[in-house]
Amino acid sequence: MRAFERAWRRLLEALAAAAALLLGATAVAVTADVVSRNVGFGAFPWILEGSEYALPLATFLAAPWLLARNEHVRLDVLLRVLAPRVARLLERATDALGFAVCAVFVVYGVRTALESARQGSMVMKSIVFPEWWLFVPVPVCFALLAVEFARRFAAGEVSVGAGPHA
Amino acid sequence: MAWWLSALVLFGSLAMLMAAALPAAFAFYGINIAGAWIWLGGDAGLVQLVRNGVASIATFSLTPIPFFVLMGEVLFHTGVAMKAIDAIDRLIWRVPGRLSVVAVVAGTVFSAISGSTIATTALLGSLLLPDMLRRGYHPSMAMGPIMAIGGVDMLIPPSALTVLLGSLAGISISQLLIAGIVPGVLLSAMFVGHIVLRAWLDPGLAPTFEHEALPAWERWKPLLLYVAPLVAIFVVVIAAMSAGWATPTESAAIGAVATVLVAWAYRALTWSNLMQALMGTAGISAVILFIIVGATTFSQILAFSGATNGLVALIRDAGLAPPAVLAAMMLVLLVLGCFVDQVSMMLICLPFFMPLAAAYGFDPVWFGVLFLICMQLGLLTPPFGMLLFTMKSVAPKEIRMNQIFRAVTPYVIMGILMLVLVAAFPPLATWLPKLLIGR
Repeated sequence: MRAFERAWRRLLEALAAAAALLLGATAVAVTADVVSRNVGFGAFPWILEGSEYALPLATFLAAPWLLARNEHVRLDVLLRVLAPRVARLLERATDALGFAVCAVFVVYGVRTALESARQGSMVMKSIVFPEWWLFVPVPVCFALLAVEFARRFAAGEVSVGAGPHA
Repeated sequence: MAWWLSALVLFGSLAMLMAAALPAAFAFYGINIAGAWIWLGGDAGLVQLVRNGVASIATFSLTPIPFFVLMGEVLFHTGVAMKAIDAIDRLIWRVPGRLSVVAVVAGTVFSAISGSTIATTALLGSLLLPDMLRRGYHPSMAMGPIMAIGGVDMLIPPSALTVLLGSLAGISISQLLIAGIVPGVLLSAMFVGHIVLRAWLDPGLAPTFEHEALPAWERWKPLLLYVAPLVAIFVVVIAAMSAGWATPTESAAIGAVATVLVAWAYRALTWSNLMQALMGTAGISAVILFIIVGATTFSQILAFSGATNGLVALIRDAGLAPPAVLAAMMLVLLVLGCFVDQVSMMLICLPFFMPLAAAYGFDPVWFGVLFLICMQLGLLTPPFGMLLFTMKSVAPKEIRMNQIFRAVTPYVIMGILMLVLVAAFPPLATWLPKLLIGR
C-alpha cells in the first residue's frame, strides 16, 4: 500500500512539474515572439495561439496534484468545528460526491472526444489539428481526480487548511 | 420552474456543497452537472459542459495570469524580494511605527511586481512579523499592515485576479489593471498615515529601537541595486501595455522573463528555486483556472433557468436610483466576501452584475475597480478571509485567530472608506487609464 502511495504521489508530482515547465516555456516563447516581431524577424502567430492551449493543459495536469495536497480552495470551517467522528463522516461524503462529479466528467469527456473524432472536427486557426486533442486531457485529469477522491475516501482522513490563492 | 425558485435551488445547493467543504471548483461542477441536465438539454447539455469547460480557460485573455503569478513566485523563491525589503528597511528612519511602515511600503513595491496576494502576505509575514513581535510591537501593529497590504496587491498591477475579472466581465484588461493603481497607492498612503498616527499617540504599540547608523551611500545603495530594477520591470510592463506595444499577455510574459533575468543577474537563481517558483506558479494558476472551468456553463445555466433575466428585470423595474443599486451590489459582494473565495464571487455575481451595470450606464472600468476593492476586502473579512488564514499559518503559534481579526479591523474600515471614495469620485479609478491609454 505504501509503495502505491509513493508511486501515486510521484506520478501526480511529475504531472504538476510538466505543467510548471509548460507555463515557463510559454512565457519564454511569448517573449521571444515579441522580441522577434520588434527586431524585424517577423511574428509567429502560432505561439500566441499555443499559449491559449497551454492554459487548459497545465490546469488539467496540475489539478490532481493540488487535490492530493489539499490545495483546492474550500470552506473547511464545518470540518474544524464538528466533532472528529462527524467531521470524518462529512469528509467521506464530500469525497464520494467529488468522486461522482469526476466520474461524470470522465464519461462525458471520453464521449465528447470520441464524438469529435468521429465527426472529423478540426481546429482551423494558425495551428491546424484535430479538435478531439483539446478534449483528451479532460477525462485523463478527472480520472486521476476520481482515484484521488477514492484514495481519500478509503483513508478516511480529515484534512483542513487553505490552499494557495492569488 | 419560476425563475426565483431556480435561483433559490441553484444558489442554495451551491451554498450547501461549499459549506460541506467540497472544494469550490467541484461544488460548481456538481451544480453544473445537475443544471446542465435540467436546463441545457440532458445528455447534450453534459457534452456541452465538457466543451464549455475547455473553452472557458483556453482563452487568450487569461494567459497573463500564470505570468503575473510567476513574477512574484520568482522574487519570493530566489530571495530577491527579501533583499528589496531590506533595502526599503534601510531607508525608512525616525518614523513612529517604523517596521509597520516598512511593511506597507515594501508590500506596495512588491505588489508592483507580484501578481499574487498570498505571496506578498506570506513573504512579509514570515520576514517582518517575527522581528516586529520580538521588538515588542503590539500584534495589531505587526499583523494588520501586512495583511492589509497583501489585499492591496490585488489593486496594484500586475494582478492575476484583475486579469480574471476583466476577462470574465468583458472589461478592458489593460484599463482595469491601470485603473487599480491610484486607489491602491492611496490605500497604502492611508495605511501609513494610520500607523504613524497610532504609534505617535501610543508609542507603546510600536517601541522605538536603536537602528544601526549607516552612511548615506550605504543606505541608498541597496535601493538602487535591488529595488530600482524591480520598479523598472513594473514600468516596462505597464508602459508596454499602455502604449499598445504589447498585449497584456505579452507584457506579462516579458515581465516574467525579465524577473527571471534579474534574479539571474543577482546570482540568486538556481535550478532548484526556479523549479520551486514554476511549481508555485502552476499551483496558484491551476487553483484559479480550475474553478473557471465551470464558469461558462454556470452562467449559461443561470441564463437558461431564467434566473439572470428574472433578477435583473426585478431590480430594473423596481425603479431604484442608480446609487442605491450600486450600493446594494457592493453590499452583496462585501457579505459574500466574508464567506467565499474571490473566484467564486466573480462566478456568482458577474452574470447578474454586468447586465445591471450596463442597464444603469455604469462605467465598466470604474465598476470593475469597485468590484476589485470589494474582493480585496473579502480577503480580509472574518470569518473566512483568505489572508487571515495565510497570516495564521506564518504567525507564531501563540497568536490566536481573534487577535488576527482585531488587527485587521482598522484596515477593513479604511478599505470601505476607499470604496465609498471611488464610488463618489469615479476619476480616482478612471483618470489614469484615460491619461495613459486614452478612452
